[in-house]
Amino acid sequence: MAGSRKKAVRIANNVRSYASKPANVITVLFFAILVATVCFPLLSLARDAFVVHSGEIRDVGKPMGAFTLYHWKTLLFDNLYDYSVLTFWRPLLNSFTMAIVACTVAVGFGGAVAWFITRSDIPGKKFLSTIFVFPYIMPSWSIAMFWENFFKNSHIVACYNQVGMLESLTGICVPEWVLYGFFPCAMCLGIHYAPFAYLLIGGILRNMDANLEEAATVLKASRFKILRRITLPIVMPALVSTVLLVFSSSISSYTVPAFLNKNGSFPTVSTTMRSLFNTAAMQGQGFVIAIVLLIFSVVILTMNNKVTGKRKSFTTISGKSGQVSLVKLGRARMPLAVAIMVISIFFAIVPLVSFALESLLEVPGDYSTLSLYYWTTTDTLEDRVFGSSQGILRNPTIWMALGRSLVVSFAVALISGSFGILIGYAAARKRGSRLARWMSNMAFFPYLIPAMSFGAVYLSVSYLPAFSFLRGSVFLLIVVGGIKFLPFASRSGANAMMQVSGEIEEAAYVIGVPWWKRMVRILFPIQKASFISGYLLPFISCMRELSLFVLLAAPGSIITVVLQDFEVNGLTQISNGINFLIIMIVLAVQFITNKLTGASIDKGIGG
Amino acid sequence: MPRIVLENVTKCFDRFVAVDNLSMTIEDRDFITLLGPSGCGKTTTLRMIAGLETPTKGRITIGDSVVFDSDEGIDISPAKRNIGFLFQNYALWPHMTVYDNIAFGLENLRWSKGDIDKRVHDMMAMLKIEQFEKRFPSELSGGQQQRVAIARTLAPSPKVLFMDEPLSNLDAKLRLEMRSELKRLHVDTDSTFVYVTHDQMEAMALATKICLMNKGVLQQYAPPLEVYDRPVNLFVADFVGNPTMNFIKASGRLLSPDRVSLRMLGHDLTFNCNAPLASDVSDIVVGIRPEFIRLEEGSLSGTVYTTLPSGMETTVKLKVGDEMVTSVVFGSVDFSHSRAMSFSITGSGILLFDGGSGDLISMGSLSGS
Repeated sequence: MAGSRKKAVRIANNVRSYASKPANVITVLFFAILVATVCFPLLSLARDAFVVHSGEIRDVGKPMGAFTLYHWKTLLFDNLYDYSVLTFWRPLLNSFTMAIVACTVAVGFGGAVAWFITRSDIPGKKFLSTIFVFPYIMPSWSIAMFWENFFKNSHIVACYNQVGMLESLTGICVPEWVLYGFFPCAMCLGIHYAPFAYLLIGGILRNMDANLEEAATVLKASRFKILRRITLPIVMPALVSTVLLVFSSSISSYTVPAFLNKNGSFPTVSTTMRSLFNTAAMQGQGFVIAIVLLIFSVVILTMNNKVTGKRKSFTTISGKSGQVSLVKLGRARMPLAVAIMVISIFFAIVPLVSFALESLLEVPGDYSTLSLYYWTTTDTLEDRVFGSSQGILRNPTIWMALGRSLVVSFAVALISGSFGILIGYAAARKRGSRLARWMSNMAFFPYLIPAMSFGAVYLSVSYLPAFSFLRGSVFLLIVVGGIKFLPFASRSGANAMMQVSGEIEEAAYVIGVPWWKRMVRILFPIQKASFISGYLLPFISCMRELSLFVLLAAPGSIITVVLQDFEVNGLTQISNGINFLIIMIVLAVQFITNKLTGASIDKGIGG
Repeated sequence: MPRIVLENVTKCFDRFVAVDNLSMTIEDRDFITLLGPSGCGKTTTLRMIAGLETPTKGRITIGDSVVFDSDEGIDISPAKRNIGFLFQNYALWPHMTVYDNIAFGLENLRWSKGDIDKRVHDMMAMLKIEQFEKRFPSELSGGQQQRVAIARTLAPSPKVLFMDEPLSNLDAKLRLEMRSELKRLHVDTDSTFVYVTHDQMEAMALATKICLMNKGVLQQYAPPLEVYDRPVNLFVADFVGNPTMNFIKASGRLLSPDRVSLRMLGHDLTFNCNAPLASDVSDIVVGIRPEFIRLEEGSLSGTVYTTLPSGMETTVKLKVGDEMVTSVVFGSVDFSHSRAMSFSITGSGILLFDGGSGDLISMGSLSGS
């Protein structure tokens, strides 16, 4: 009797002392939250690929909710009219080749610029490094949209024979394959991810001990030999991981192929997935594709972890690498600088100009028709488009959607930023604990899931009877965004917390400062820039996000969805104008936050 | 045989002058240490001679060839200067084995495979690292990495060897060991060493000549004992020696060209100069090495402030009026705090510095204590 009471007291005391440490409470709490928001939806997704949905009852011949392999069999192996080739294998091959080319472009271009900026005496470095990341800050379809603005011409039906910049300036009409299909998709993705490659590879080059290269110089190795034998092998892990990340982002990219496939010649897995989801009788097959994409990215990221994990020790950081002796480019210096500058400006500044300009042309390509018509008109522009009653500035649909996007982004930033800090705190304080490791792994998991698959995951949840209230709601968008962008925030939060030694907090702890006060008054101010970056990045990512929301958002609900609606219906003046607005908002938020707090987007970089 | 000449070398980073108008000659087979507090420009100087840093102005000659001249626009790449460079953090290539690290420089000289193999094995034997041949740098301890780095640098037999604080990452015991090995290596390899350090003991122990710098300006360039015995100014006197020299403010009056009457530590003492003196002596700082202060004898007196025994010797600090005087006594002694203590100032190595400029004005002995 006394023994069991003693035991109960001991357990109660153990629980009490465990719960008295905030890091423990946070770990347990977020473990539960993440199981609910990450694991549960994934299981729901897996289930959806194996059950009959309401629209599929007739085709499958089983009642709704019954187990079936029909979706897999049909999508992967149905030879009738080459169905599986056309809806699965060909798009998969398309996505695959597109991703490989995009990867090559991104790593080649971004890596070269990173090398020039960190290791050579090329002029204009500061300007170059500022503008070079623009394409990455812009929404992912911006380059695609610019590509279309630039190359569209009167000979191509799919772009409604509109005249683009190139034609109106030079009269040159490019053939259709330059404007739509494989080539432009791969190029635009490559250019969009080049800054990403630049930031990753540049970061490694900057941290790499320059003495390693100098030691080889002193031992009479040639420039080329140093690059081949010393620099490349050392940055190889970073290079491989860049390649893998760009590849996994490209293969599942939705927006670029959606914009540059107007003639329908180049279906990819993600565009196919979208149309499958939109067909009631084929939703199960959509979920199958989502799972295939998921498997792809999990495999890729496991490979990535293998590569970076094994050779992590290569990136040594030394005390004296500030004194880098720069490679003298000699006579090639100016020509190279001009070439890189021109290319960067073309993809960083010119798109902005083109968006603004396109929105001001009543007749596309005819610069004599400059007017504010599409911004200010009260005419109904196009019946097919939801809410296209008036020009941009007067259009209630656009302003409502913009407002909703801002609210969603703000809420998402608040959620993922704060969660990220707390998760980072718990992970740093409970380093080595298994529960904490699971928690931080789960927080990172959404990063592995392609945006559209992640949307599909929550789509499948919203089809569950218990969660039907979520369907099409803004609340769902906030939850999805908050979880999807959590990895950036939790990683920057964890890094920031790791840098602050435990003693700094303990010094306050021993004199009795409560936990929340330690967070707000001590830890947050010390790592302000990193933490605010943890808020900034989700905000910006969310503001310009489409792939994640495209399956979930109701028509006209958020600004990116509205933009796509106008774009696919040929009202390019409006879509350009909206895109211009989004980019300006994103740049302004980024600029103001950076000036006020020192936070910046490259502090918490991700896919 | 190489002789390194620096003429009016200046290096600016933006507006900050890292090295200011430095001229010096390093003779063949010298072991030079560039010594000074952090940020004094010593590493920059070394890197400029090696060609890893481009001077803003000046001229550098190694042997017969001008390797840098700002006026003529000459800037020879480090690869063509026939030098070796030992980095502070060793800069071993993490993806290459010990063998490959050492062989890399020889490959660049287009040696045959057999010659490379022989040379690498000779080097590994010399530095006692044969058993690590197949290991990667991350699998070696700090001292072992250090040896690999030395082997890699020495393998092509450079005639000039530059070292940038190569021992600073080692623990105290290993540092002493490597110190004697480096000095031995200098004799064995028959080459010129230029060595950067901020550790004055290391500089004293290793160098044939010390180049002491402060804020980018050369202070004194002389053999170690001369720097110790005849520091040219207060900075050098203070920087070199441990425990540091006593600096005692005094006012003086010239009695004859080689005799000065000094008012210091509350006494009137007479300073006998080794050479006739010309300058004004009204504002003087007297520099006395701790070993010139003898305890328990003489007419000066103070009280014991603290006693710091270290086994072989004991540092005793005395309070004399408002001044603090440090003495070093051979052997272990322990004086109780605050006891009265008599002392004298002996020897002919007492220094007089100008109170205003800090420059050395005379050297001699004190009498009357």
